[in-house]
Amino acid sequence: MIRSYLFLAFITLLFILPLFIIGIYSISGLWHYPEIIPHTFNIRAFLYIQQQAPLILGSLLSSLFYSLCTVLLTFFITVLPAYAFARNHFRFKSILENLLLAPALLPPITFSMGIHIFFIFLGIADTMIGVILILSFYSYPYMFRSLISGFRAYGREYEICAANLGAGTWERIFRIDFPLILPAFTAGGMIVFLVAFSEYFLVFLIGGGGVPSFSGYLFPFLNSSDRPVASLLTLIFFIIPIVFFVLIEVTVNRMYKKRGLLS
Amino acid sequence: MRGKYQKGLILIVTLSPLLIPFILFFSAGIGFAFIQAFGLIGTTRVRGGLFGEFTRLFTDPWFAKSFFYSLYVAFFSSVFSVIIGTFIAYNIWKLPHRLKVFSQSYTVPLILPHISIAFIILILAGRTGFFSSLLYNLGIIRDQIEFPSLLFGGNGIGIIIAYIYKETPFVVLMLLALFKKINLRMVDTARMLGAGKTAIFFRIILPFLLPAINSTFVILFLYGFGAFDIPFILSESNPEMLSISVFNLYFRRDISNRPYAMAMLIVMFLFACFFILLYTRIHSLVNKKEKT
Repeated sequence: MIRSYLFLAFITLLFILPLFIIGIYSISGLWHYPEIIPHTFNIRAFLYIQQQAPLILGSLLSSLFYSLCTVLLTFFITVLPAYAFARNHFRFKSILENLLLAPALLPPITFSMGIHIFFIFLGIADTMIGVILILSFYSYPYMFRSLISGFRAYGREYEICAANLGAGTWERIFRIDFPLILPAFTAGGMIVFLVAFSEYFLVFLIGGGGVPSFSGYLFPFLNSSDRPVASLLTLIFFIIPIVFFVLIEVTVNRMYKKRGLLS
Repeated sequence: MRGKYQKGLILIVTLSPLLIPFILFFSAGIGFAFIQAFGLIGTTRVRGGLFGEFTRLFTDPWFAKSFFYSLYVAFFSSVFSVIIGTFIAYNIWKLPHRLKVFSQSYTVPLILPHISIAFIILILAGRTGFFSSLLYNLGIIRDQIEFPSLLFGGNGIGIIIAYIYKETPFVVLMLLALFKKINLRMVDTARMLGAGKTAIFFRIILPFLLPAINSTFVILFLYGFGAFDIPFILSESNPEMLSISVFNLYFRRDISNRPYAMAMLIVMFLFACFFILLYTRIHSLVNKKEKT
């Protein structure tokens, strides 16, 4: 029993302490080595962020926008192939499946620099479309994997049963398949969102100066000596995905309750 | 026979939303890298024939240093992540049910972006960082000079710590899903037959987790080998991580360096493919041996 508590204390310290220190940094004034607690406290960082609010909000909305678009795009390109992979057996299936997971395994810099040249030729470098495309190409394997296991979790019986009862193709898709695949979609979508939202390099490379992003806004502060502002921005970067996940969780649960699928 | 062809056609059509962009982006990404490395686009021409940049690359001691440095960082960060992650996942699994909710803190680094993790390590592990202050106040060191140079010391320890901190929770996440599938009867039987805790862990649990640990290791190793975000903040100029060298050569130096940078990228790409192949081959060989 004591061992359990000790272990919990250990991992809590390990994973929460850095956040706590960042929190202290964000309200610190003067903090000289080797003081454990800052010499003075102030709210300068908060005032600065309030003053910069339009710029920060703009970059945040831009990041949220391309991350959500990436989630939707990865869903649309992987949903049919995932269905085919879960329901069919064909030659070279496992080789193809492994091959299609490669973009998440290979270092993104190896293929993204070439794609950057390709995008310059197409005229979509430095645009929102370019950023969404490159992020989708890098992160779709997470959605793909999640949807395959989602489709594997239930058999064809549901669709056959609905068809026997007279449901058409669209009705089957919206009333049978969609609700059943929703948990897999949200699970995959959360990972894709996190990957897209926190990615710095790909957005910086493909978006250039054209696409504002929160990671791009934050980056110069991390290397600067203005640690209070950098800490506060980091905390914001941490809180937004959590708010987003809680919202998703609540909405999905409500949807299930409405349909009577969850008591 | 017509039915079979029709079925194949339908399959290809359903796969095409993914296959077409995959083939297009992949061939474009690698293709353009090759074209530029061969000096076929842009204003710069490659000296010494089509493979001129590659021959220069393989005789460049600075590239070799950078390459092995990246391997070293990737290896230690992924090995430690896997070991610590397995340890944490195992202990979370052993927690009594009502205490399991409190273990959620491990997800914090999963949510924090890579650049934020690098910043946290910068704050904590620097010579004038939090740990240095702490050790000073505890009387363990008398001056900041006595604190080991974890960051920017040329040993890559800062980058390795940042990767371990970011990736350990990923290992925990991957393994916890598997722990739910462990056959508890097997564990109970082993205990009844007199197996101790260590024996149960090494002879039942670890072999069960090993395939997942292996694939996680490959993912983490290749990520550490070629990723950009963390080294970009914690980077050292000598030796330098490969991704940073490529970026600097391509964007920050003279434009004539671009084919050389692309040749480096292609070597990285080929190495990653080779590593995946080698690893899966060894893995399947070991599996076969165990079965016979």
